[in-house]
Amino acid sequence: MNEILEVLYKTFIVDDRWRFLTDGLKNTLTITLFAVIIGMVLGLITAIIRTTHDKTGHLKILNFICRVYLTVIRGTPVVVQLLIIYFVVFGSVNINKLFVAVLAFGLNSGAYVAEIIRSGIMSIDNGQFEAGESQGFSYTQVMIYIILPQAFKNVLPALANEAIVLLKETSVAGYIAINDLTKGGDYIRSVTYQAFLPLVTVALIYLVMVMALSWLVSKLERRLALNDRR
Amino acid sequence: MTDDKKKSWDSNSDMIVADGLYKSFGTLNILKDVSVTVKKGEKVVIIGPSGSGKSTFLRCLNLLEKPTSGHILFEGTDITEAKGAELNMIRRRIGMVFQHFNLYPHLSVKKNITLAPVKHKILTAEEADKKADELLKLVGLSDKAGAYPNQLSGGQKQRIAIARTLAMNPDVILFDEPTSALDPEMVGEVLNLMKQLADAGMTMIVVTHEMGFAREVASRVMFMDDGNIREEGTPDEFFGNPRNQRLKDFLSKVL
Repeated sequence: MNEILEVLYKTFIVDDRWRFLTDGLKNTLTITLFAVIIGMVLGLITAIIRTTHDKTGHLKILNFICRVYLTVIRGTPVVVQLLIIYFVVFGSVNINKLFVAVLAFGLNSGAYVAEIIRSGIMSIDNGQFEAGESQGFSYTQVMIYIILPQAFKNVLPALANEAIVLLKETSVAGYIAINDLTKGGDYIRSVTYQAFLPLVTVALIYLVMVMALSWLVSKLERRLALNDRR
Repeated sequence: MTDDKKKSWDSNSDMIVADGLYKSFGTLNILKDVSVTVKKGEKVVIIGPSGSGKSTFLRCLNLLEKPTSGHILFEGTDITEAKGAELNMIRRRIGMVFQHFNLYPHLSVKKNITLAPVKHKILTAEEADKKADELLKLVGLSDKAGAYPNQLSGGQKQRIAIARTLAMNPDVILFDEPTSALDPEMVGEVLNLMKQLADAGMTMIVVTHEMGFAREVASRVMFMDDGNIREEGTPDEFFGNPRNQRLKDFLSKVL
């Protein structure tokens, strides 16, 4: 019993070590929140450019840029992207590491969000476009008033899941020496030589957050399904 | 275009003139030199076998399909090359009713009707609301104003789709097989509404398989086969004394 207490004491209490976890959690949540926002905006823009090109044949150059973006981001590991942005793109300037992480994870998430939203737009029956156009709406108006509201509703659960995935992926932020939740736990391990408790605690914190978010998503899904049956 | 054709296009009563329309998808030629004039107030019914190009022809009239060659005149203006805002202004005056209704599922019945007039700033929200109430009364679905399309039967959906089209005060309405996706017992309610519109003087171009409707309502019936109008005439001539052999075969199969 005493042993367990001692390990708990060494892991969390000495030198206020619990603060590595709370500070880390703060960084993890900050990165996730802003990366989700960037990812959604970037993904929406990319998806609209791609579908507009597919449907109308316009925006050839922008579509090409988007395709390169999607291929590169989805074809390389997020850690490598993070390292390149920190050490190569911003290698010669002194820059806030949190900002770099937000940018890297946002860029990464944007590519996946783009494909989710694109699939949502493509899943809308072409008759909806035709009905809108036959009523004299421009392509942009059809998108805003008719297609996107339906597409978003269809992919909302997938978007929420992407946010959950992103939350977990930020655990590699330590690669550029950001003290996120994972790094905080790992730091405690390195000073106490006790691996089990700090790392399992970190895992539990992620698990609780993911379960809470998943619960919210499933609630959202049920709510949307209810709307359909109205 | 020749001079005397030009003259006939200038006539005030010509609502839509299709002149020498061709439409191909790749190597598939759907329309082969289709010319049709529809006057204001006319109810033109187009019949013909599947794949004959009826729907494609109708969809060319509001440029949902772009003709490969030929011209379309709407109220005297050549709209074949119309694009962007100009095209959208024209489409506001050409209503279209689809086989599969294409109601906006995320909007209530009333919003389906008011969306276009309000967003185009033709009516204020209050005016559109009032107009929607009137139209819902006309189509006999006043109690469904707050419902969503998913909650309606096929016949009800199509009546709402017609109300949605009417909300724009179109000069002409194109009906693309409006009853083909309906259960048999719902066909009547939609056809009755269309008859009502016809009696009120609406210019209508209707692609349909409903011979009874063609006989009763049409001012002119056309038979389309293999991308061309093979025969046209008043319902009496058309059904009573068909000359074209393909039409005779077709009628013997469907009547």
